[in-house]
Amino acid sequence: MRKTIFTFALLLGATAAEAQLPGLRRRSPAPPQQQQRPVLQGIDAQRAEFAAQSGGTTVYFGAENVGLSVAARTVLSAQANWLRRHPEVVVRVEGYGDGGDTRDHALAVGARRAEEARSYLVLLGVPAAQVSATTWGKERPGLGRAVTVLIR
Amino acid sequence: MKRTILSLALLGFGSAAVAQQQPGQPAATVIAVPPLTSPNGGNQGNEMLAVGWQVTQQIETDLRQTAEVMPLQPNRDDYYSYPEVTAPSFSKWRAKGAKALVTGFVQARQDGRLTVGCYVYDLDKGRELARKGFAIGPKDWRRAAHKCSGLAYTAITGAPGMFDTMIAYVAESGVGDGRTRRIAVMDSDGYNHRYVTAGDAMVLTPRIAPKATQLAYVSFAGGRPNIHLIDLGSNQDRPLLPNDVMSFAPRFSPDGTKIAFSMMTGTNSDIYVANSAGGAPQRLTTAPGVDTDPSFSPDGSRIVFESDRGGSQQLYVMNADGTGQRRISFGGGWYGSPVWSPDGEWIAFTRRSQDGRRIGIVKPDGTGERVLTNGPGDEGPAWAASSREILFQRAGANGAAGLARVALDGSGARPVTIPQGGSDPDWSGVVD
Repeated sequence: MRKTIFTFALLLGATAAEAQLPGLRRRSPAPPQQQQRPVLQGIDAQRAEFAAQSGGTTVYFGAENVGLSVAARTVLSAQANWLRRHPEVVVRVEGYGDGGDTRDHALAVGARRAEEARSYLVLLGVPAAQVSATTWGKERPGLGRAVTVLIR
Repeated sequence: MKRTILSLALLGFGSAAVAQQQPGQPAATVIAVPPLTSPNGGNQGNEMLAVGWQVTQQIETDLRQTAEVMPLQPNRDDYYSYPEVTAPSFSKWRAKGAKALVTGFVQARQDGRLTVGCYVYDLDKGRELARKGFAIGPKDWRRAAHKCSGLAYTAITGAPGMFDTMIAYVAESGVGDGRTRRIAVMDSDGYNHRYVTAGDAMVLTPRIAPKATQLAYVSFAGGRPNIHLIDLGSNQDRPLLPNDVMSFAPRFSPDGTKIAFSMMTGTNSDIYVANSAGGAPQRLTTAPGVDTDPSFSPDGSRIVFESDRGGSQQLYVMNADGTGQRRISFGGGWYGSPVWSPDGEWIAFTRRSQDGRRIGIVKPDGTGERVLTNGPGDEGPAWAASSREILFQRAGANGAAGLARVALDGSGARPVTIPQGGSDPDWSGVVD
């Protein structure tokens, strides 16, 4: 599992808009053969395709804000299109709060952002069972005011 | 300070010792702690005196941690005989500047256990304030000392002592996203430190049940925040709710039978209450937005919580059934993580502004707000059983979290020593 996630992070690093995914960068370095092999299979390939065809996996929010911007809706629409074509793929929306906030308020804000993005995906026709939501609050501070949509 | 004198006067003891203080002088009541004696003779008597000396030194250590009581350094030359436990020389200790005195004894019992007796005196009035006797295991002298310290502290201040109490917190090792977080518990003096979760999942906000029988916390073991309960005797762990819903910010009711918490329903975080034994939760708030961090009043009749329903994060008080919700914080900035004091007088909070987070207190009716710490990375207050001190999380210069404590009397915050980094502290009531 750890290896899989790391591969995903590397891949996103290669796509322009996704240079930062600190929440997914794990302790152990990637095995060297992973970096030399361009052909991805299984969940890694799915993640790469999802990120490429949706314009990214990360959706950003304004300060103290849980509403979806136009840019956020654009990304989520593309994600919804892809997810409708891949009903076998299950995703989790992970929400992040603000680093300066208190612990539980940040958890709640991250959860609201994740649920906001999740319900927009469902509104666009993604089956509710295909997408779940969670929050990291301020515990993984790298992303700031955002949600990531992660294939599980 | 005015409140201290009032409560002492009501209780009818110790008032003389405190009332003589002048402005500008230290507020602490000086107390003499000569070594405990023993009625036993011979080798056994020597053993008991050795235990008594350990107890005496621990009492001194306990009382020195407080802002209100200042112990004189115990001296082995101040040995007294067993009859003098109940007939001490008041003039001797008055001459050394003490206002109060602790005497006591350690006695070997037939069953191998020890009887410890403690007596507290008002030296100015020359009379006994309190006494307590109890049997302990031969190795439990630290516990005996905590009981004597609590007896003296309560006799002098009128407030419960916090010596025989437990602290829980999130122990953090490593840095950044890869750091390991485990729930740790320890006696309030730092002894008996142990970890109660394994460190394989992220954990947050341990909250100790009354009497410290169990502990509620938030586990990310399933990838989402879920409230769990750990039995501190057996270490058995179970989720509070049957379904995998996002739930967090648990707090026990004062009688331990209920837990208030927040739970996500769609994009809405609301306050719920459930029996700690299990069962369907009851919803207490319905406002759109974030309602979280509920904390019961000590009589269980009201709940303080935070909400951003008015546009920014503020403190609200409601009845325990959810009725009568009203805002109590109006000082500017954002307010969070409210906790009701054990004596019911204050609500501690984290106040957030552009230049950081600080710990403060306010009356439950919204008056008398005071900020107690300088920040900039303070949060998560937890009350001492005495209601005169607050334990909280303080981010160090390098960003690593640690624990600190601050007294309500205006003296500065002091760091609390723990074996590694720590966050989210909680402080139990008196364990007995």
